[in-house]
Amino acid sequence: MPDSQYDLVIIGSGPAGSTTARFAAQQGLKVLLVDKRQELGAPIQCSGAVSRHALEEVGITPDAEFIHEPIYGFGIYNEKGDSTVIDYRRLKADEYGPEEGKKPLGYVVDRRRFDRYLMTQAERAGVEVWLKTEGLSYKPGSNGSCEVFLRRFNQEITVNARVLVGADGLQSQVGKWAGLRTHIKITELASCLQFIVDQVETEGLLEIITGHEWAPGGYAWVFPKGYGYAEIGLGVIPTMTDRNAQWHLDRFIHHSFFKERFKNSRILEIQGGGVPLASPLRTQYADNLILVGDAARHVNPITGGGIHTALSGGYIAGNFLAGFLNQGKAPTAQNLEGYQNCWLEELGNKMWKLYEVKTEIFRKNDLAERDIQLYQTMASYFSPDSEYKKI
Amino acid sequence: MSNKEPVIFTIGWNACINCGACVAICPQEAGFISAFDTIAVDRPCDIACLLCEDICPVSTISHSPANLTSFAR
Repeated sequence: MPDSQYDLVIIGSGPAGSTTARFAAQQGLKVLLVDKRQELGAPIQCSGAVSRHALEEVGITPDAEFIHEPIYGFGIYNEKGDSTVIDYRRLKADEYGPEEGKKPLGYVVDRRRFDRYLMTQAERAGVEVWLKTEGLSYKPGSNGSCEVFLRRFNQEITVNARVLVGADGLQSQVGKWAGLRTHIKITELASCLQFIVDQVETEGLLEIITGHEWAPGGYAWVFPKGYGYAEIGLGVIPTMTDRNAQWHLDRFIHHSFFKERFKNSRILEIQGGGVPLASPLRTQYADNLILVGDAARHVNPITGGGIHTALSGGYIAGNFLAGFLNQGKAPTAQNLEGYQNCWLEELGNKMWKLYEVKTEIFRKNDLAERDIQLYQTMASYFSPDSEYKKI
Repeated sequence: MSNKEPVIFTIGWNACINCGACVAICPQEAGFISAFDTIAVDRPCDIACLLCEDICPVSTISHSPANLTSFAR
């Protein structure tokens, strides 16, 4: 079966998997990308915010096919409703704005359309894509490749790959197959819920509401969602509250300083998920295997944002693997450590630094002090002269 | 009774939003998943840490002792 031999088999066609696939295929690798879903992006577990430069860095032109609404800045609130507005339409008026010749700072994307778009770009670069195909397990062999066991429309199929890429999200099973330490602490996984709503005004800003009062251990958000819709959500750390995210979201909508603004809101969609506010995985590779995106916990520990880090991680992984396999190197764990080193240098070390910042804030036992620090950190993180280079 | 006794999870599917947070937090080895991308509901969990219940944004996971039948006797 000559067709069952691939350079890469990638499990999971989210932003990380399809970006890894696209860059690898562009450089001549034979790539199979599989996803167990029938429709990518769904069920949505993400707010969809991504910066423009994150897209451009990986060769994605912002396209109406997947954009809900352009973003021009941020509104950061403390628990009482005092705010810091960072509107790039005012701060850098000649560069950012809706007018001809100016640009948005970022976008809120439709994850269904966005993930499909990224997969399409991968397919056009030569990647073979199988939907309704789940990964079951893998077995490294002695000849430098591994067997990957898949189930596609109920049919069990075995393919050979030189490297298996686990891009299967936060719920990653691929990392567990390899015995990697993927377990996340309950104190570092935010339980998130969001409503897409009608009748809530927004102004092209990502609004972030900090404070233990509203979202213990995380924050609440109000994002523009296009067509006059908005997204209201929050994430909480379960060990910091006796209530669930649903209770906190209901309370935020009906009892916070935004209750007047939200009073006519009508729920159009309900979405949720776990968002890691954690460090990246310490080991993201094994024999014939690497992890990328949420599966490797490539998520910004301050913001919980994961699209940019997934795209960048995919870019790094795809380029590394193409260079590596085109040189004929054996994909042993020892050699694949190079991927992680590459990733640390380009992205990971910054994420570790942000993790330390975040940990320092939540280490404070005094809630008032913690609230002040989180508010200030968020406000400075999104300011144009932030000491943290955006990731 | 200690939480360390094996349990069987029940998911209230009506409230489940398919967010996968329960699978993300689950310390079980690979494969402790249902066909609907939640934690498994068809076999006992012998860890019984109950973190999946804690992380669920809509609190739709509950459990009962796996050895319930032996209690009945």
